This record gives sequence, C-alpha cells and structure tokens, in this order.
Amino acid sequence: MAYPTDVVGILGIWSALLLMLMIYSYPLYKENPFFRFAEHLFIGLALAIAVITAIQTTMRMAVTPVLGGDIVYVIPIILGFMMYFIFSSDYRWVSRYPIAILVGSAIGLGMRGVIIPNILTQIINTITFPKSTDFMSMFNFVYIALGTLFAVMYFLLTYEHKGAILYPTRLGRWLIMIGLGAYYGNTVLFRMSMLSGRAQYLLQVLRIIPM
Amino acid sequence: MSQGIWNRLQMIDRRIIYWVLFIILMIPFIRPLGLPVSITDQTRDLYNGIRSVKEGEVVVINISSGVSAWAECLPSLVASVKVLNQQKAKIIFWTSFVDGQLTYEAIVSKVPSFKERVYGTDYVYLGYYAGAETGVAQLAKDIRSVFTADYKGTPINQLPIMQNVNKAEDVKLVLSSDTGDVCDYYIRQWRVPYGVPVAEIGIAMIYSSYQPHYKAGILFGLSNGSRGGAELEKLVGELGDATTTMDAINSSHLLVIFCIVLANLGYLATRGKK
Amino acid sequence: MSEVLRKEVVYLITAIVVITMIADYFFGIKQLNDAASMVRTWAVVISAMALALGAVNLMRAHGNIVRKRVPGRWIYSGVLIFIFALTTLLGLLNINNPSTNPLYKWLFDYPYTSLGQTLYAITGFYIASAAYRAFRARNIDAALLLLAGIFVLLKNAPIGEVIWVQLPVIGGWFNDIGQVPAMRTFLITAAFGLLAYGFRTLLGKERGFYGEVATA
Repeated sequence: MAYPTDVVGILGIWSALLLMLMIYSYPLYKENPFFRFAEHLFIGLALAIAVITAIQTTMRMAVTPVLGGDIVYVIPIILGFMMYFIFSSDYRWVSRYPIAILVGSAIGLGMRGVIIPNILTQIINTITFPKSTDFMSMFNFVYIALGTLFAVMYFLLTYEHKGAILYPTRLGRWLIMIGLGAYYGNTVLFRMSMLSGRAQYLLQVLRIIPM
Repeated sequence: MSQGIWNRLQMIDRRIIYWVLFIILMIPFIRPLGLPVSITDQTRDLYNGIRSVKEGEVVVINISSGVSAWAECLPSLVASVKVLNQQKAKIIFWTSFVDGQLTYEAIVSKVPSFKERVYGTDYVYLGYYAGAETGVAQLAKDIRSVFTADYKGTPINQLPIMQNVNKAEDVKLVLSSDTGDVCDYYIRQWRVPYGVPVAEIGIAMIYSSYQPHYKAGILFGLSNGSRGGAELEKLVGELGDATTTMDAINSSHLLVIFCIVLANLGYLATRGKK
Repeated sequence: MSEVLRKEVVYLITAIVVITMIADYFFGIKQLNDAASMVRTWAVVISAMALALGAVNLMRAHGNIVRKRVPGRWIYSGVLIFIFALTTLLGLLNINNPSTNPLYKWLFDYPYTSLGQTLYAITGFYIASAAYRAFRARNIDAALLLLAGIFVLLKNAPIGEVIWVQLPVIGGWFNDIGQVPAMRTFLITAAFGLLAYGFRTLLGKERGFYGEVATA
C-alpha cells in the first residue's frame, strides 16, 4: 500500500493515527477523555458492523428463500426473533427455545467430533513407537508418553496426591509448567507483533519509513 | 545500599517500561537488521501442502481473524495465497468474523497476481457465516444452505467457481486463519469425517494449542503468527511485512528477557531481607 | 402447564437436537441426515439474528446513561450511540453490499481498522510490565515456566540464533516436544469435559445456558 495522495486517504490515515494515539494515551500517560472517546467510538463501530452483518446474513439465508417460496425458513426467523425475549423479565423463557436449538446442535456436534481427534488420535500418537530409533527420538517418545500420562494424572486424579501417585503427579505438574512456559513465549510473540505493527504504522504515517 | 537499588528498580513506574518498549519497537523499522529466519517443519509442511494443490483444485480459506490480528495472520495468508495463485488453484474465501471482509480486501490488495485472476471464476468471497461449529458443520454438508450469494449479492449458482462445489468432498484443502478455536471446528467437522486436509494459520498464542494436532498428523501444517509469516515469505521468495516485523520482535523479545532477568535478580537480592 | 412449556419442553428439545446431531454422524439414514441438516441451518440463521443481541443490550445501557445524563459518562455514551446509528444507517442504505457507500467504507478502512488493531495490541505493554513485575522464579514450578518461556522467546526471535546457534534448537525442542504433554493433556481433558457436559445437558442437569443455575 502506497502513501495516499487523495484527501480522503490522507484524512483517513491521519485520523487512524490520531485515534491510535488517543488509545495509547491510556497506557503511556493515564486515563483521559481522549482515550474514552476513542474507546466508545470503536464500540459504536463494532456494534454497527455486527448489526449490519446480522441483517445481511438473515436476509440472504432466510428472507430470500422465504420470498422465493421456501416457507420452512419462517421457522428459524421466528426462532431468531424469540431470542430477543431475553430482555423481557416476564417472557424470558421464550428465548430458551432458540437457545435449546443453538446449544443442542453445538453440544451434539462437539460430542460427536471430539472423540477421534482430541482423545483417540492423541492417545494413539502418544504411544506410537517412533520410526527412528536414535537417542533423541527415543527420548522424545518417552518424554511425551510418560509426560502426557503424568500430566493427565495430575488433572484427572482430583483426590489428594500422596503415596504412589505423589511423584508422578508432581512431575505432571512440572511438565504442565513447561507447556505453559512455551505458551507464554508464543504469547509474547503475538503481543509484540501486534504492537510492532502499530509502531510501524506511526512511522509510516509520519513518512519516516515507506508505507 | 544495593538492596535499596533493587527495591527502587522493582518499584519503577510501569509507564517507563511502556515508553521504552514502544521506542525500542520503532528503532528496527528505521535501522533494520535483516537477520535470517530459519524454517520450522510446521511451516515447511504448510508450504509443501499448499504447493501440492493442482490447477483448478478448490481451496477454502477460512478467515476467522479480524483486523485486530493483521500483524500476525495477514502475512501468512498473503504468502499462502500467492502460492495458490501460482498453482492456479480456485480459492473460496469465507469468514466467521463480522469484519472478515476487510481482511479479504487486504489480502487481495497485497497479492498482485489477483489482477490476472477472474473474480467469480478463479476466486470468490462468499462473506460471513454465523453459528460457529454448527455453521462449519453445515458448510461441510451443503455450502448452499449457508451461502445463497457472494458478498456482493451475486447468487451462488451464477458463480462459475461454485458450479461443482457444494460440500467438503469438493474441496482439496482448508486453510483456517484463527485467533481462537475455529480451526478445531474444521478438524472436527471437515478433517475427521471427510478427510479434508486442514492447516492452521493462526496467531502465535494458539500455536501451542494446535501443536498436538500437528504432531498427531491431524493438521498438515501450522504457521506461528508473524514468525510463521516470515518463514512463509522466505519460502515463497518474496519478503514482506512479517520479515520486517521480525526485527522489532528481536528488540522487544530482548527487552522482555531483560525485564525477567532483572526482576529475578532483584528478587534474589532482596529475598529474605524484607 | 406453563412450567412444562417453560422448562421441560425446552430440555426435551435440547436433548432431541443433541441426539439428532450425534446420530447424524453414525447413521446414513436420509431422513435423519436431512433433519439434522435442516436443524443446523436453522441454528445458523438463529445465530445470525442473535448477532444483534449485544448491540440491543448495549444500546439500552448507553441509552439509559444518556437519558439520565450521568456525569462524566453520558457524552461518551452519546458518541457511541451517534456513531452506531450513523454507521448502521449508512449500511442499511445498501444492505446487499454496504461497502459501496464511500463513508461507510472509510469508517471501516481507517478508524475501525486502526482502533481494532490498537486496542488488541495494547496488551503488548502489559505483558512487558508483567514480565518485570510478576515473573519471579519463586519455586521450581515458576522456574520451569520461565525457563521454557525464555528459550521459546529466543527461538521465535531470529536474534537468538545470532547469540548462540543452539538457542533456537533448544527453544524449538520446547516448542515442538517440551510443551506437547501439557497441551495434549489440555486437549484430552477438555474433550472429556465436553463429553461430561454434553451428557449432563442430555439429562437436563446442565441448565446454565438457559439462565438457570446448574444442578448437581
């Protein structure tokens, strides 16, 4: 993307920068009216795009078929409107019907879906002997196999960890800490990438570096 | 005396750290280091998987990352789409994020080869689908029950790219760009029941969560945020935004490590003396 | 009767939908598969319509703030309502493709995109100060967490390789192997949790999502 040359584009990038600085005035300085203005502006825009998307999707998925004669789509439209009874203290129970369909389908799909990839495949992969038999492959195999067993023990054995399970569950907890450490390392990468993108944008708008 | 210094260091105003961090992030953009990026197996497998797509085969790109995650996901998406265009694959974009259209438009604007491709024939953006996992499951079964038209309102049956495409089996592979758990839905509703290969192009934070799926062969590839993007850019041979970001990642990561080390030295120096 | 309509019928519908979705996976019965497909389509439509629930709720809350002229807050709520109303109106002018409206497109190309990225990125500051203030190796657990974290940091940043060529190898081990037992455990236990939650829902014991308190 090149630096804009038209008024609309220039106004756009400068307003975007100004709003960015308003938001960062909170961590870099303190809570202030500019931050609150930008924050509320964002919420207003985010809500608007949600509403527009809701209307657009409903029109395409349900209203258009109904207009085309497929009247069965009247049912989900009515159910969709029933969701809004959630705001009525007297008729809140009406909203439970669409919730029943949403939750029922999500749970049913989740239940049928998790067994193979999340349980069976993971267990099979954990206990499958490696193709290569060099030291590191064997070490990694034993580490993952025993490590997963101990970590699962730490999680699922919810009574007091003592006696024979004291050391396996303690080891399991340490391995979970290692996992969370790696997770933390990747989280830092994520957060810093986001922030560096903003730092880059500041320099680009100020024309210190090319856009 | 030394204990006083450590105590003062531990009481340092957080805003000083914020300012230092923001300035440190800017410096590499002005004075780039351009250090080489090594390629991980996860990214290479992702690249090879995309390269294996043949001319005319259909690839779905699920955009489940909003504008807020552009710094992390957009470079990998752009690099992947460049390869898919080279392979002359047919690309279907859709999104589970309300602002997914902005991401789609950003991808198209950053991939010059789209100028040689025809909208509606070689690629299409179908728009937003609701329903999370339910929506993903229904897309696997019957795309037309979820999308009746593309984002411009053109009926789906008038789009040449969609002529023989209506279910998971008609799709060669799925690339899911995530900030959450949408890729899980594709694993559960596309990969396992229909055998459609799925890869994750996600933010670095969820890289750890998907590592077991990659190890188990459920995901054919995995891109680790902007780092994965830089690796893909190197593999594609066109360095871009993620490669530039890597310099800022160097300085910011060193600052974070410096903070951890300094804090722990302070902790050790003052431990038991409070 | 009304109690039956308000509760029992709802639990029954949930259970029927759950069973339909599961049965759809295991049995190739056309009527069953078609019914499951239809229910999923309905659920997608309901989800789409429910997208605006949050907007309605927030408009009620901010509308109250403006109406009561709550000091220090009502002006911001007014801004929120104004920009929401303006943008929604612009979108409705061409609901089929709202981005054809130049002002609508401008609002999303610049202010929305910038604010979205900025707000999400703000946590970058906090993770830096957390590194300074919270991450102390107070015991073995915390020390292991920090150790793995630092090696992964040095693996993700290309400068790690410049400092010591083995650093990315060690960090790569933590990323590829070291974290797998923990992450795999999370996957497996979460799956068991989902199955347990599903069975409780089937039996009508899990009712939190209806706005009720779950029973034991």
